[in-house]
Amino acid sequence: MNPWRSLIYGLRNLARRKSREREIADEVEQYYAEAEAELIERGLTAEEARRTVRMEAGTISVVRERMNTYGWENAVSGFFADLRFAARQLMKHRAFTLTAVLTLALGIGANAAIFTAIDSILLAPLPYNNPSRLAFLNTHWSDSGYTIPRVTGLDMIGVRDQTKSLAAVSLYWSGRLSVELCNHATYTELSWVDVNFARVFDLKPIAGRLFTEAEANQAALVSEQFARDNFGSAQAALGQVLHGDVGSAAVEIVGVVPAGFDFPSKTQVWIARPLIQPQWDGRNAFNYRAVALLRPGVSFKAAQAELDAISQRLQKIYPDDNRNKRITVVSLAEALTGNARPTLLLLWATVGIILLIACVNVTHLQLVRTMERQREMAIRKALGSSRWQIMWPVLLESLLLAALGCAAGVLLAVPAVRILVTMAPKELPRAGEIHLNGWVLAFTMAISVLTALASAIFPAIRAAKVNATEAMKHDAARGMSRKGATTLRDGLVIAEVAATFVLAVAAGLLLRTMFTLMNRDLGFETRQMLVVDADAPAQTADDYQRVILQFNELFTKLSAMPGVEHVAGIMGLPMGNYGSNGSYTPRGGLSVDPHHRPWANWSVASPGYFQTMNIPMLRGRDFNAQDTADNPFVVIISESVAKQSFGNADPIGKQIQCSLDGDKWMTVIGIVGDIRQDSPADKPGPALYMPMTQHPYYANQINIVLRTGVKPSTLMNTVQTMIAQANPQIAMRFTTMDAMVNESVTTQRFRAALISLFAAVGILLSMLGVYGTMAYTVAQRTFEIGLRMAFGANRAVILRGILRHAAMLACIGIAVGLVLSLMLARLVAAMLVGVNPIDPISLSGASLLLLLTALAAASAPGWKATHVDPLAALRAE
Amino acid sequence: MVDENTDVIQGTLDMLILKTLSLEPMHGFGIARRMEQVSRGVFRINPGSLLTALQRLERAGWLDSEWRQTKNSRRAKYYSLTRAGKKQLEIETADWTRRASAVARLLKAEA
Repeated sequence: MNPWRSLIYGLRNLARRKSREREIADEVEQYYAEAEAELIERGLTAEEARRTVRMEAGTISVVRERMNTYGWENAVSGFFADLRFAARQLMKHRAFTLTAVLTLALGIGANAAIFTAIDSILLAPLPYNNPSRLAFLNTHWSDSGYTIPRVTGLDMIGVRDQTKSLAAVSLYWSGRLSVELCNHATYTELSWVDVNFARVFDLKPIAGRLFTEAEANQAALVSEQFARDNFGSAQAALGQVLHGDVGSAAVEIVGVVPAGFDFPSKTQVWIARPLIQPQWDGRNAFNYRAVALLRPGVSFKAAQAELDAISQRLQKIYPDDNRNKRITVVSLAEALTGNARPTLLLLWATVGIILLIACVNVTHLQLVRTMERQREMAIRKALGSSRWQIMWPVLLESLLLAALGCAAGVLLAVPAVRILVTMAPKELPRAGEIHLNGWVLAFTMAISVLTALASAIFPAIRAAKVNATEAMKHDAARGMSRKGATTLRDGLVIAEVAATFVLAVAAGLLLRTMFTLMNRDLGFETRQMLVVDADAPAQTADDYQRVILQFNELFTKLSAMPGVEHVAGIMGLPMGNYGSNGSYTPRGGLSVDPHHRPWANWSVASPGYFQTMNIPMLRGRDFNAQDTADNPFVVIISESVAKQSFGNADPIGKQIQCSLDGDKWMTVIGIVGDIRQDSPADKPGPALYMPMTQHPYYANQINIVLRTGVKPSTLMNTVQTMIAQANPQIAMRFTTMDAMVNESVTTQRFRAALISLFAAVGILLSMLGVYGTMAYTVAQRTFEIGLRMAFGANRAVILRGILRHAAMLACIGIAVGLVLSLMLARLVAAMLVGVNPIDPISLSGASLLLLLTALAAASAPGWKATHVDPLAALRAE
Repeated sequence: MVDENTDVIQGTLDMLILKTLSLEPMHGFGIARRMEQVSRGVFRINPGSLLTALQRLERAGWLDSEWRQTKNSRRAKYYSLTRAGKKQLEIETADWTRRASAVARLLKAEA
């Protein structure tokens, strides 16, 4: 039969149900009338004819019913009738429905929210052209297993010249810098990219054109957003000139790229830089990041094989510099989101557990309901309902609950996603792209249906197994409920407690990590410290010299301000944006393996920096006014450098060379304490400090740090005025060291906050579970309790019995949870700082918390049990 | 008296209805009466089966229907064969003939 035709018929019949029923009635009526008329014609009386026809053909109503139920549309309307029945049932049991829907909404909403993030960040293709062919290159050392997301220019020349699998390779670097436009300065994300960049991303300007190879350092592209914000429109931006940190000279805007493109890291301005030339750079200067476009049809595996071959060749030609060095390729999406992956997967696992707990709770609620409905089920069965017919209403009710839960969950997810995005650490990639979409809704619906099935399957099977005669005789209220039912309910509570325990332990571990980080000795003092990002434009050598003088004068003036105790300037402030690092060569200390030269963070500081930061000066002296470019170069080293390069010898007076700028040997004049450079999660590490006056090219983009005796923010306006007076061209941003430290642990805080939130939800849900099971048990045992009390049982004994049951369930749950936690501990190990994944404090804390939760949840029903009136209880039936 | 089986042979009701209607449009009872007459009482049609079969055939596009006055001026639903119905009748008739003659041959061989 043509299904299309059948569909149309069915829909038409559904639409005009009444008139169709009338038509069928008419047709049947007419049939019988004709049959009777014929018999009367043959000589029967009307009454005889009537009876004969009915005897032969059956009653009219049966035929009519048979015709009315023909067709798929009747199955549908039957379904709706069942649905209406289920809805009425849910309406009748408001408390049950509300609890179940809220529970499901929490579980489903949390899943929808987290899946939204996962879908947008990990699953959705990058919003660039040819997203599946975009690649990112890393440098990897096969001996140490170390990988860095940077490459050297010289290696890239090798790749560029020899590759067949990459259609284009582009080198770039980026930063957040100030740019001077015709009438104002602005901080913006800036990248220097070569001419291949546009080829890799297949950029098509919406105004103007791309830059050519010949225009290096003279041309720039800007984003549509930047053009609109600063010039009014894309067209107006063309031909405008940028000054500032952008290059040696003025740079002209030649093109505007569409608003959606912001690679790398929200770049607004792309400045043309020349293609790498072989005569530049060292083979160990990892100054660039590299993106590439795979040729169509080339797999990442094939590209990697080719890069391996190229790496091999380079290793042969440069056995020293390229020893064990390998260029590796990953998809750009992976490079961008790889760091966020463990956090997101952890969150996903967590909300999965939440959903599981929600499921268990709803199963539990359903189970209690089917127990109450046992008699109804028994009657249905006695009247001849099939197994399926008994299970169907239970399943349908669950589906309806899940649908309500799904709707409520999505409503919950919308604000949750918004909060998630606001809370997200700024390192969270693609946070701006996070949004609910069809996939997420489909996923949510799918898990809702699964939830419905999962939570209904036990109760439904149990309902179908009802033994009609037993159930009719059986009186649940007399405390003689079947063993199996109790075991199943207890099992559910245990599962719930175990799952919650795992969450609570995870939350405990992450909170302890957070606590450790916030209270760590960073090697310097963070309190009462105002931090200024100060960025003075400079192009010529004279500019740089003048900037240093201005800064030095400024430091003196600022330190004279009331409320200010010390002032210093620094390039490479801990927790800050700038800073450099690399390997160095010591002279006069321990011998150095040329292939594994020692490594350190590099900072450039003004005199007084260590005092301002409260970094202990262990030996030697601070920088002073005599440490100028004309005098011998000096360096101050941190304790770790002294240890790793000079051992027990006194480093003062020994020499060090590093390639910050030039290769002058610097004399060690002092030793200071180690600090944690990038975040409190770092280990205190080796650092070299060089004076600003000897490294002017690194002294125009600095942080000014002020140790204050008052609240740092109160000084902001005065400081701003003084800096602007000293040099109006300095771009400034203000913050405090405490805020910077806070910001450096946002990822950890994000994780800890979310997991704790989910653990709290889990605890709430398991509390409901324990409460439900206990309340039900007490209600069922009212008769028994009344009887015992009538025989003189003590109230305390009764209460103790109930609490003991709850405690026992909790303890078994905790034991199971403990085993699970120990098994899962290593999954979070990488996210912990200063805490062992098997942390006795977190484990015992979680145990105690869950035990108390269970007892608290059981105490209300327990209290109720002790107030059973024996007479009333015995009279109950 | 032994009850003779008056059921329509399974699977042939559709074909018999189509055949009956190939002469002229009829209403439900008319079809039943005609089938009973032509089969000389061998097949007696139950109205429930007949009327649902008519619904089914109409849905399949083999029959059309319209409400008309009968001879004795009652309103009745008249069914008529569509072009697709005619084709279907040919197919089913050919199929039936092929199978019935096969059954006949087998029975003869057995004898």
